[in-house]
Amino acid sequence: MAAPPEPGEPEERKLLGFLDVENTPCARHSILYGSLGSVVAGFGHFLFTSRIRRSCDVGVGGFILVTLGCWFHCRYNYAKQRIQERIAREEIKKKILYEGTHLDPERKHNGSSSN
Amino acid sequence: MAHAAQVGLQDATSPIMEELITFHDHALMIIFLICFLVLYALFLTLTTKLTNTNISDAQEMETVWTILPAIILVLIALPSLRILYMTDEVNDPSLTIKSIGHQWYWTYEYTDYGGLIFNSYMLPPLFLEPGDLRLLDVDNRVVLPIEAPIRMMITSQDVLHSWAVPALGLKTDAIPGRLNQTTFTATRPGVYYGQCSEICGANHSFMPIVLELIPLKIFEMGPVFTL
Repeated sequence: MAAPPEPGEPEERKLLGFLDVENTPCARHSILYGSLGSVVAGFGHFLFTSRIRRSCDVGVGGFILVTLGCWFHCRYNYAKQRIQERIAREEIKKKILYEGTHLDPERKHNGSSSN
Repeated sequence: MAHAAQVGLQDATSPIMEELITFHDHALMIIFLICFLVLYALFLTLTTKLTNTNISDAQEMETVWTILPAIILVLIALPSLRILYMTDEVNDPSLTIKSIGHQWYWTYEYTDYGGLIFNSYMLPPLFLEPGDLRLLDVDNRVVLPIEAPIRMMITSQDVLHSWAVPALGLKTDAIPGRLNQTTFTATRPGVYYGQCSEICGANHSFMPIVLELIPLKIFEMGPVFTL
């Protein structure tokens, strides 16, 4: 996130000058789905009502709601994944450290299942 | 360390900093959407043909624009408070280091396992080796182990200073006559830089902090204590 962009990599793009969609997890995904939702909602409203201004309002509202919804959903899954990665990393470390010793969880488990 | 013209946060080197970055992304997305809405409202205001100046009674809109910001503030405040209380947790530190601010250098004391005390001055430009960082490198770094909770006790001998290391999400004021405490656990080895963050005189910008984080096994061999 903090490294300067390499020559081959795309330059960082910031929406409204501050939201870095390239490097923020889930940002690009949420904004793209939000844009799609905005177009669908706004255009759909216009098809049914032929009111341009109100359809634009619906489009903007749709963008905000869909972006927020995708954002929270994606960030929740991302947080779950990070926790699982952390648990897996700790378990691998413990396995390497304790393998063959009396603290080896697999040994304890095999011992209790054979009893 | 930060690269040239960097505006965003540095990569996280502690779990607290990871949480702070996550919170920052969360708050920034909310801010972006509010800015988008405000820009749209501004656009509508500038392009409207409605010129009735006798509009009154917009109860529904007033209710919405009172309750919605309250909900947004709650959405921002809850994760913020969670991290705030997380930073105050003290989980049995393995090592305690004292950091004392002076004009214009830091003194570090490792008194847990001996009496190591040393000063940390910024390297003057004339003394820099090729590859050293101007205004950031110091003569004596703070060497610490990774993956071990560390307690920093921070104070000052003269004026206000502030001991800050952005990569670890740390910033604690050094106040004369007061002992402040901060704890952290580093997850990655490396060299991490910070700078004094409270105006303290002419050379406030020239008293950096450098942490050298090394694996615990190597730290236990005692490279710090052979200084």
